[in-house]
Amino acid sequence: MSNKSFFQALKKSAKGAMLGSTAIMALGLVALPQQAIADETCMSPYMAKIVGQEDYVYVWTLGAVGVGDEQDKLVTVAANPKDKQYGKVINSISVGGRNEAHHSGFTDDRKYLWAGGLDTNKIFIFDVHTNPSKPTLHKTINNFVADSGGVVGPHTTYAMPGTMMVSGLSNNKDNGGRTALVEYTNAGDFVATHWMPTDGDLNGAKKSGKFADGYGYDVRVLPRRNMMVTSSFTGWNNYMMDFGKLVGDAEAMKRFGNTVVIWDLHTRQPKKVLDVPGAPLEIRCAWGASNNYCFTTTALTSKLWLIYEDDQNEWQAKIVGDIGDASKIPLPVDISISSDDQTLWVNTFMDGKTRQFDISNPHAAKQVFEQKIGEQINMISSSWDGKRLYYSSSLLANWDKKGESQDQYIRAFDWDGKKLTPTFQLDFVKLGLGFPHQMRFGSNALYGKAPTQSAEKIIASLSK
Amino acid sequence: MLKLIILMLCFFTTLIQADSSESKQPVLLAPGYGPLTFEAPEAGTYSQPIYGEATNGKVINSAGTPQNLFDLMGDKVVLLSFIYATCNDVNGCPLSTAVFHKIKRRLSKAGLKDDLRLITLSFNPKHDTPDVMADYAKSLETEQTDWRFLTTQSQHELQPILEGYNQSIQLEYDDEGQSTGTFSHTLRVYLIDTNKKIRKIYSVGFLHPDILINDVKTLTLE
Repeated sequence: MSNKSFFQALKKSAKGAMLGSTAIMALGLVALPQQAIADETCMSPYMAKIVGQEDYVYVWTLGAVGVGDEQDKLVTVAANPKDKQYGKVINSISVGGRNEAHHSGFTDDRKYLWAGGLDTNKIFIFDVHTNPSKPTLHKTINNFVADSGGVVGPHTTYAMPGTMMVSGLSNNKDNGGRTALVEYTNAGDFVATHWMPTDGDLNGAKKSGKFADGYGYDVRVLPRRNMMVTSSFTGWNNYMMDFGKLVGDAEAMKRFGNTVVIWDLHTRQPKKVLDVPGAPLEIRCAWGASNNYCFTTTALTSKLWLIYEDDQNEWQAKIVGDIGDASKIPLPVDISISSDDQTLWVNTFMDGKTRQFDISNPHAAKQVFEQKIGEQINMISSSWDGKRLYYSSSLLANWDKKGESQDQYIRAFDWDGKKLTPTFQLDFVKLGLGFPHQMRFGSNALYGKAPTQSAEKIIASLSK
Repeated sequence: MLKLIILMLCFFTTLIQADSSESKQPVLLAPGYGPLTFEAPEAGTYSQPIYGEATNGKVINSAGTPQNLFDLMGDKVVLLSFIYATCNDVNGCPLSTAVFHKIKRRLSKAGLKDDLRLITLSFNPKHDTPDVMADYAKSLETEQTDWRFLTTQSQHELQPILEGYNQSIQLEYDDEGQSTGTFSHTLRVYLIDTNKKIRKIYSVGFLHPDILINDVKTLTLE
């Protein structure tokens, strides 16, 4: 830079970008670089991404009585077909006891994986960058409830710039669904609690329908619209209850979330409460820059919902599809949007099926594929190109199927757009691991390590 | 042969591209280069929590004078940016410098001329000597502004600063294992109050002068 100004350099480096921008707009693709972002398409847009072949799948796994050491653990599976250990468990690190292991998420620099325990309220922070094939437990946050002022059930751990946003499920006053978002620095220091708006304290939000229940579950963002969005599930009393007992308890079944909340992402202030009755769970937002919408599904009513910004820049919610036969309560769980915003995978726990919806018209989703994956199913992780899919089985310790229907697995498939071809599967009970839940991808190349040079190259370079 | 393409700050910027065919894909300019697509939150209508303590360290200004980083904090609100002078990612270091330049031009009108200090600190001390940083500053016409261009004596003195701010940087290597002289890093800019507390961490998506100015104003209204 010594002999040219900053602006000359900027002009030069921006030239290609500006031309590229023009070309994309000419094609009607005002979107930000759709081809160039993300791996699992549900990851935070702030995060370092893999768009090629993943090397590892990290599986946050519930410990189960009578299975191995009975502890929660982070299991590493080799996922690169070039790896001699492909499809095998190559590492497992137990965290001591059972915590109701559930979701996990990387920090924005992808150096650490945060994994929550819904029962004990611990958050385990794993170092995944020092040796990506062998994560280690870096730190445990033990004071989540005290830090946050009474939030219980750390669920989604979502990367923000330099911080992690943790969505709670419950609270320590009544163990019901009233809860909050809790923000920590990447180092694990508490920053702030952002309570969900309720009828009693809307905190500046506009209530647009019948409900303002203050419940929480998932969190996602659309930075280009300064929008953060949260969904709502149920409190500790329900998610720790035996599933059969819960379904038979009419009063308990009334205590599920019925709302999605739109937030000002920058200021963390709630702006609008939308009615989405029936426990809206996972949220997945579109990637295209002009696609200002997200999807969610309701567990109890089996509907696919669109959360979208209308022509007046107002956020709205509406049903855009049915998921199976709602009368049989298929229980939609995880969903995964494709990188081109054209399709959405929806898993239904009770029938063990994965379903693909055509969402090319987001206002009228249409199911185009379904296949049973196991006796039960929960999470799905997709490679960026959509060609590799990984499924896991466990929902909650007390909700999973038991006896002959117990089926605790990781199953991997190749997807060619028409059919699923199995690549490998792991029986987590037979392997003595537990019940597998959230899967996240890892890669050696993420951490900027210099490729290992061959002895010949090193000698050759020394002789120069 | 490395086939992975890794993209940091995926919405707007490509920081590692190991596949040459992919590297020709166009990159759209970050929001900070154009008008904001939403109305920036009004100054003083929101709170800004504390994200931690700022970190001190030994630095050198563009005149070659050693200083402590804390010598430049406490009397004014600070916006701190980490860059390296040869960075060629339009949505990386050049973005933070361009946004600072826009802020510089609006400081008087915003009533912040005496309240804000801009700091651009290099994380490549080997190349970015005080002379290089002075050159970097020259075209930005910073004489009338409190905008400091800093470097460090060595990697040894830089490293604690990077760790203190959790600013991750990695040298990039070619397929032969040789350094390319470029870095991949997560672009971050830090808003630091007069108590030397970090009050906001910006990445590409929110690095826009409208937002930063209102955030600085919000701090001055506390």
